[in-house]
Amino acid sequence: MNETRKWMLHRVSAIIVAPLFVWYYFSLISLSEKNYQGAIYFFENPLFKILTIALFFIGFFHAKISLSEIFEDYIHNKKIKDAANLLSLLLCIIIPIITLILLIYKI
Amino acid sequence: MKDNQNPISPHLQIYRWHISSLLSITHRIAGVVNLLALILMFFWLLTFSLSESSYELFLLAINSFFGKFILIGFTWSMSFHIFSGIRHLAWDMGYGFEIKTANISGILVILSSLVTTIIFWLLGRGLI
Repeated sequence: MNETRKWMLHRVSAIIVAPLFVWYYFSLISLSEKNYQGAIYFFENPLFKILTIALFFIGFFHAKISLSEIFEDYIHNKKIKDAANLLSLLLCIIIPIITLILLIYKI
Repeated sequence: MKDNQNPISPHLQIYRWHISSLLSITHRIAGVVNLLALILMFFWLLTFSLSESSYELFLLAINSFFGKFILIGFTWSMSFHIFSGIRHLAWDMGYGFEIKTANISGILVILSSLVTTIIFWLLGRGLI
């Protein structure tokens, strides 16, 4: 990806993901004192499902760009850096996809 | 590069700490911590979708003393990263570069992240 575009997408993803993250984390805190039954309405709401998918995809996208910036600054061995980038890429693709599958088929 | 023995920026160990450098590195650390928070939220969803008993186990973990400590820490890192991110966005648009302004905005980021953490918990637990 071209660096300017990456820079721009990093900012745009930050602006989108910040409110989603706050909303989702707030829901976790407020539902943490309730039981399973209390959380059903949250997970089964179709709008919440869409927002959750957006949070995980955009959030991990934002994380991937940030992590490669961090690796660029602190890892000086190219092989280790490439391995770190590959591992973080896999993590940032697999988790959102599992989330998508769970929300469609399991919840 | 031919000579890669040259020192490479950033030299965190060499410089005297300023609020700007302290916030810069904390912004990164908080970002990584937020990634861990996102992974925790993934486990929240995962255990819910697996079974009621695994969800109860997840609740037990996050409601333990250690769990609460982590949750409060995540709240602070989230607030800090967002406020500090807004500061970064202002810089990206060309505002706030004067040393005095940058120092004041830095202090504001720290204070507002602490206040937000407290309010977030009071609201989240239905105490206000």
